[in-house]
Amino acid sequence: MSLVGGITLKGIKALKVEVEVEVTGGLFSISIVGLPDAAVKEARERVRAALRSLGVPVRGRVAINLAPADVPKEGALLDLPIAIGLAEKLGSLALRKEALFLGELALDGRVRGVRGAVPAALLARDMEVPLFVASENVQEVSLVDGVEAYAVRDLQELLAFLRGEGDLERVSRTAPGELVLKADPDFADIKGQGAAKRALEIAAAGHHNVLLIGSPGSGKTMLARALQGVLPPLSDEELTEVMLVRSTVGLPFENSRNRPFRSVHHTTSAVAVCGGGTSLRPGEITLAHRGVLFLDEFTEFRRDLVESLRQPVEDGKIVVSRSTGSVTYPSRVLLVAACNPCPCGWKGDPLETCRCSQGEIERYQKKMSGPILDRIDLYVTVPRLSPRELVGLEGQQGEKSDSIRKRVCEARKVQQDRWQSWGYRCNAELPEKLIRKELVLAGEVRTFLQGIASTLKLSGRGLSRVMKVARTIADLEGAAHVAIPHVSEALAYRETGFLS
Amino acid sequence: MSKEGEAMARHLELGSWGEDRAAEFLSLKKGWKIIERNVRLKRGEIDIVAINGKELVLVEVRTRTLGKILPPEATVGPQKMKKLIRAGEEYVIGNSWKGPWRIDLLAITLGKDGSREMEHFPDITHGEYRP
Repeated sequence: MSLVGGITLKGIKALKVEVEVEVTGGLFSISIVGLPDAAVKEARERVRAALRSLGVPVRGRVAINLAPADVPKEGALLDLPIAIGLAEKLGSLALRKEALFLGELALDGRVRGVRGAVPAALLARDMEVPLFVASENVQEVSLVDGVEAYAVRDLQELLAFLRGEGDLERVSRTAPGELVLKADPDFADIKGQGAAKRALEIAAAGHHNVLLIGSPGSGKTMLARALQGVLPPLSDEELTEVMLVRSTVGLPFENSRNRPFRSVHHTTSAVAVCGGGTSLRPGEITLAHRGVLFLDEFTEFRRDLVESLRQPVEDGKIVVSRSTGSVTYPSRVLLVAACNPCPCGWKGDPLETCRCSQGEIERYQKKMSGPILDRIDLYVTVPRLSPRELVGLEGQQGEKSDSIRKRVCEARKVQQDRWQSWGYRCNAELPEKLIRKELVLAGEVRTFLQGIASTLKLSGRGLSRVMKVARTIADLEGAAHVAIPHVSEALAYRETGFLS
Repeated sequence: MSKEGEAMARHLELGSWGEDRAAEFLSLKKGWKIIERNVRLKRGEIDIVAINGKELVLVEVRTRTLGKILPPEATVGPQKMKKLIRAGEEYVIGNSWKGPWRIDLLAITLGKDGSREMEHFPDITHGEYRP
């Protein structure tokens, strides 16, 4: 068995790749087998130049096998293990135990950072073998607990270390950062909009999906951005998940407990949002995992894109299957959508008059997919403030995002403690079965909800959503049981009249 | 002899003079062991066969006078390269050489004032060749 290991990414997981090298006599040539992509094939030029720069000439006919043979390998991250395998075969070092290597080589032997360092660190930890990564990747690797990792600046340094002649910097664990959030904008900066702020607080507390409906200039986008400032900090486990995704995509490292906030433009393709492509990359919905996916101008999104969000939003994961394979990405997002009430945007506005015909409004609202709307827990109308109201509110300060966030965190904690034994973190994640079993309403509350549900013609899913939101409202209040006021507030956020 | 014949004789003369200089350079300056020179094979000719460490090196020598359109190293194109590789394979198989081997180019440029410049290009196939 070869002791030189590399990795290749499958979804957000790292798979171990064994690098086997054979050198025979003949005119110099390097061939790489084991389903390499173009970047892996080009490794031979980088590896040879890097080794030559260290005075290790590569001679003869070189065959490199990347096992397992049937898994496609991609990216320049296999440069380093190939170079080590080759150096070992050429007799310039002898490995004593198995190790994982990760890095791209420069022609002069420097080692460059690559994407996938965090999955590699997790794999190395589980395999209990040392991991050698580029200095550029050290920060992200340092957050993984219990991995024996070394920072490599250049190939020479690494070869010296493996020969036992030199020393390498051992990566020490750094504690995950804190929430470094500056609420921008702060809820206190937003004038009025008490109802919308309250709805967003509930959304943040229970991780519920929100649709903001309002005229142009009413502050939908600003409210959505302010939501980020009241979200609770990522837990340790969630932070690892977020880092894993960021590392897989190659986004710059960020040591903070801030939740991701991804704003997607309506021209974005379905593949960019859901993930895919020839080499299978995660999409925006995965980048927003454990955070907010914001779809502004929701009605302008292509229908197929919106429909494709249904299942991942509900299940918290998305399975992307292509001819090259199938992978699962996490996609536990808080979906925030914003749209106008009608094509001209002024329906229901206190000052402007709506010029849309009934047919136009119907066509506009029909653009929104029913199944997706059924997955939205909170419908929030964002009215435009009249100039008089705006001036009247001048100088008045609303509640600060910080103090709202404290309430949200407390409510989250209650939920976490309650659902921990089932493996859930917040009310919105609960599956149907658990709602039926665990969210039992008291007799009078049940009768109340039953009466309203039949009037509103709520679907089964709609009903469970109301129950989840009511539970969150009760949690925010610190109430042990869901009461009629909680349910009636939750019902107020149901879709009423918008799609009539 | 015709004028043309004289010209041909002159360039061949220059070539073999260059090969002598090259062999001197490799054995004296580089310390390589020269095994054979001007090996004529069915599929081509090898100017110098030498051993560098554990590797067999087939050297192609190109000599040119400064002022010609192309520098000597540029006169080895893909056709010549293919020919060199074929000749090399024939030599290696014929002599049962089991170790690694490569093809080097030694370019000699003569100045008008009698000065000469020698440049060594190791391993000109660069792994482009696939068996």
